[in-house]
Amino acid sequence: MKSREKVAIHGYGAYIPYYRLPTTEIARVWKGGGSGPNVEKAVAAIDEDTVTMAVEAARYAVRMAGIERLGAIFVGTESKPYAVKPTSTIVAQALGQHFTLAADLEFACKAATEAMQIVTGLVGSGMIDAGLAIGVDTAQGRPGDDLEYTAASGGAAYVIGRKDGNQIATIECSTSFVSDTGDFWRRAHERYPRHLSRFTGEPAYFYHIENAVKALLEETGLRPSDFKYAVFHQPNPRFPVEVAVRLGFNTDQVKCGLLNPLIGNTYAGSSPLGLAAVLDEASPGERILLASFGSGAGSDAFYITVSEGIERKRGINPTVKSMLERCAKIDYSTYAKFRGKLIK
Amino acid sequence: MRVFVASVGLTKIGDHWNKSLVDLAVEAGRKALSSKIEPDYLIIGNMFSSLAASQEHLGALVADSLGLKGKPAFKVEAACASGATAFHTAYNLVKSGASESVLVIGVEKMRDLEPEYVSQALAMAESAEYTQFVGASFAALNGLLARLYMHETGTTRDELSSIPVIDHKNAVSAWHAQFRKEITPEVVSRSSIVADPLRLFDCAPVGDGAAAALVVSERLVSEASKFVEVLSSSVCTNNFSIYERDDMLSFSSTREAFEKAISTASVPKGKISFAEIHDAFSVTGAISLEAMGFSKKGFACKDAAEGKYSLNGELPINTFGGLKARGHPVGATGIYQIAEAYLQLTEQAGENQVKGARYGVTQNMGGIDTTTVVHVLGSAE
Amino acid sequence: MMAIQYWRNKDRYYRLIGVSCTRCGRDFFPPVYRCRKCGSEELKDKEMPKEGKIVTFTRLYETLPGFETQAPLNLAIVELKNGVKVLGQVVDTPEELLKIGAHVRAVFRRIRVDGESGQILYGYKFVVEHVDARRETG
Repeated sequence: MKSREKVAIHGYGAYIPYYRLPTTEIARVWKGGGSGPNVEKAVAAIDEDTVTMAVEAARYAVRMAGIERLGAIFVGTESKPYAVKPTSTIVAQALGQHFTLAADLEFACKAATEAMQIVTGLVGSGMIDAGLAIGVDTAQGRPGDDLEYTAASGGAAYVIGRKDGNQIATIECSTSFVSDTGDFWRRAHERYPRHLSRFTGEPAYFYHIENAVKALLEETGLRPSDFKYAVFHQPNPRFPVEVAVRLGFNTDQVKCGLLNPLIGNTYAGSSPLGLAAVLDEASPGERILLASFGSGAGSDAFYITVSEGIERKRGINPTVKSMLERCAKIDYSTYAKFRGKLIK
Repeated sequence: MRVFVASVGLTKIGDHWNKSLVDLAVEAGRKALSSKIEPDYLIIGNMFSSLAASQEHLGALVADSLGLKGKPAFKVEAACASGATAFHTAYNLVKSGASESVLVIGVEKMRDLEPEYVSQALAMAESAEYTQFVGASFAALNGLLARLYMHETGTTRDELSSIPVIDHKNAVSAWHAQFRKEITPEVVSRSSIVADPLRLFDCAPVGDGAAAALVVSERLVSEASKFVEVLSSSVCTNNFSIYERDDMLSFSSTREAFEKAISTASVPKGKISFAEIHDAFSVTGAISLEAMGFSKKGFACKDAAEGKYSLNGELPINTFGGLKARGHPVGATGIYQIAEAYLQLTEQAGENQVKGARYGVTQNMGGIDTTTVVHVLGSAE
Repeated sequence: MMAIQYWRNKDRYYRLIGVSCTRCGRDFFPPVYRCRKCGSEELKDKEMPKEGKIVTFTRLYETLPGFETQAPLNLAIVELKNGVKVLGQVVDTPEELLKIGAHVRAVFRRIRVDGESGQILYGYKFVVEHVDARRETG
């Protein structure tokens, strides 16, 4: 999919909460020792939720973009604090934006990339000058479930507008691929999601990402070696590397945006955070492949090129690296207190 | 016109599980009505009966209970200064000639509330939208003040404890006091943390109580067996919350109310025999003493530790235990102070008697120096 | 706090919108009706700076109703860059960095949650800037 008018990223903001739970802590409590696939996961504090993290990430993105008027604000998440009452209007109020199209999107871990596509469409069609796409989650795994190792909190926000020379990167093309696949779900009124053991790999993650990325390569005529960086959704440290290799990318292309070992799976925030880590490092002219995955299931793949403007915007916001460094480790009991797993 | 206190009445402060808000008010009111003088006005000082007892309209309720049906009666509220502002109202009614005899009752029922709702009730003295909203209790604000005070003045932990130590010593022989046990600075510094650096023994306790005073004109006072003169009554206010003030440690309303009060009373500072000060927290007691000029800035606790403010010192304070040990049933506290000054100036203070007491000062605060009421009382001439 | 009282103040809580005196330029948060400096009643809304430093702080163990799960609470009076003092919680800050003079910035957080079914109230809190604080203590 390509927009009629060229559309670009003008600013981005990452948000990783301050607290880290080592997976050895989870294994100590539930498995008698060992660890999870990742080293640590990022844990939102007791007073954080999807709204607060979306606002923090969005404030950074807007500050970098230097754009005053946002015609659309989409928040992609599966952990809305309210079942009924939009997250996006609270974010809009906190940003001082009122004449804006605001909506929440839900598609498991890929709600943010579809937000990016929608904003791209709105800007590309000339309906709005710029809009905000946010992906953020406070993912919850049932205590003791394997998901608990990785289910983490964090997200990123992107201000997308016309390609006008001030952009930091251009969204050249994107593709989407979906099917009805019940690999992971959460029914209404349920607190924790369920998943079908190993079904989440082959028929879900790999099948959808491979289809979306292959379609993107076909549409653009590019080969994996044309990209400097590749960012895939990161449910664990292994999948993104494996899907990269299967598609003909190498591990060096994946390394820069691979955050799962240190923060876990931030769901809708996962691939957008990986992209933010890449943009922190990337140079003008370099190509980036971004591919999300959402259970249920689908994948959005993007071809993005880095623009000159990125050099001027460096240093405006804290980097993903600095957010990884600024952290405090907590034990399982503090985690339980923060994430409402204690009854009080 | 001159204004006098003809009689007072107190309840013990503490856990009155078997007594209601009105029971306490009636008990204190009846004691103050033991003389032949009939009140023609009733004023109630109370802060949060609405929260503690689901009860407002205390004026008519207590008037009816005391057999004062038909008399004008209403409640005056100014947070923890409710008692003294009620007394101030009574003083002005008599002073102006509008009334010849006003019964003032300060009453507060605190123990019926769960502890976190006591915190909530006390926090209502502060901004709902900018103090309570962020989660700051009244104790938290005083913790912030204490940290700043210690940082700016170099006052140590043990020095800060010196005012609670004096209070507890004086309360041992005060029948109406809530805590009648001496303490050491170590007891304060080892007690549980409430709002760091403030500990439990820096803070006035939670208790129920009522105090009453009968305020009369010169014409009626001859009917009283013992009486004192109210020489001045002054109320001042400050910027509402401490964080809205340029100098958070200055307590300008205490300073202004005190200066105005002693000037109106024509009592030089050096002639004051004792002072009942509002030490809801050790730090507010210390800053109050400095604002009134009894200690230099930053020296109140050191002076207290050196004995200046002890019962036999240069200027005895809190002669029956102050807010910390006598207790602080908030809306009643200002009247307890008046009643204690009455007992001192009529030589009825027993073991707590300040020898030759001639002039007494009472200082009652709502919020942190947000509303301050200072009274100067003198013995009968 | 009542949900409607909160709603009226949402810009103050979300964006630190105070007021500024149109005559003398002094800023206020919380807003005032009359300039405390020059007495003017001509004041207009103004967003406060989000950076400042700690003037004093406390750790509160006995919280108000509605804040129980957040205990203990770190609270501070922060002097913003325009000289305005704001009271708020300090979060995500190790104890050794919580100091008078520490540099802070405002963040957007949950202030409290009205039970299981009531509204979630959001507003400003502060975090200590780690780099600055280390430099100060360093």
